[in-house]
Amino acid sequence: MTAAVMVSVRVTLEPDDAFDLFTKDVDLWWQHGPAFRMRPKKNSRMAFELGVGGRLVQTFDDGAPPAVFATIRIWEPGERIVLDWHTNNYKPGEKTEVEIRFRPTENGTRVIVEHRGWEALPQDHPVRHRLPEDQFLSMTGNWWRAILDAMAALRSGD
Amino acid sequence: MTGTASSPVDATIAALADPTRRFVVDTLRSGPRPAGEIAALAGMSRPAMSRHLRVLRLSGLVEEESPAEDSRIRLYSLRREPFAALEAWLEEVQSFWNDQLAAFKAHAEKRGKGSAP
Repeated sequence: MTAAVMVSVRVTLEPDDAFDLFTKDVDLWWQHGPAFRMRPKKNSRMAFELGVGGRLVQTFDDGAPPAVFATIRIWEPGERIVLDWHTNNYKPGEKTEVEIRFRPTENGTRVIVEHRGWEALPQDHPVRHRLPEDQFLSMTGNWWRAILDAMAALRSGD
Repeated sequence: MTGTASSPVDATIAALADPTRRFVVDTLRSGPRPAGEIAALAGMSRPAMSRHLRVLRLSGLVEEESPAEDSRIRLYSLRREPFAALEAWLEEVQSFWNDQLAAFKAHAEKRGKGSAP
């Protein structure tokens, strides 16, 4: 994790198949929990609009305006998706970043979701120029983890 | 959900988007220090550092205090609250994605039967 969260799960499917199920079947597996202050699943449909620029969107049969969760920024079938995450409860212009990776394992695929809160770092920030994107993210990620661990240690030391 | 970019967390992340300010936070993890010492460690002029310290103060990440024994000394130290808020946000996001991935796995196992390698 990081200033971000990383969670993963393993499925017994090839990465291409896992990617297809994840995206094309999203309506069948997506959970609309109570914690999710969105409209209930009833009479609605979740969908990825496949490809860069597409959205992760919930549409409603009654013609209510769709609920947009995210916009697809990187789309690499069988490998990864990067989303600009901006659900209804975000203020205009606010966004976080979600990366979903499909990594082949011995007998299936590990699906890894990383949700990062780096939106506040401007795209033209010098730190972004000095390091390749992945390295930058893992560096900041480790940094945040170290800070949070240090703070937790402080709290427990009270 | 989630991804609730609640404003205290926003301020924390924004304040720490700057490498100098991250350096200050790192430095203060080991304990309170005076502004001049922080500037020297960072290899910056005091006025330049004081602008960064101001941002950190306004976002609530650090506070400035005098030790009881000497009111002439001003020491900067970390405040815990913003970090706790950030941690709460992260926990919320983590639990959201854990639920989603568990649901995806259940779906994949149902649909993928027989096609697994």
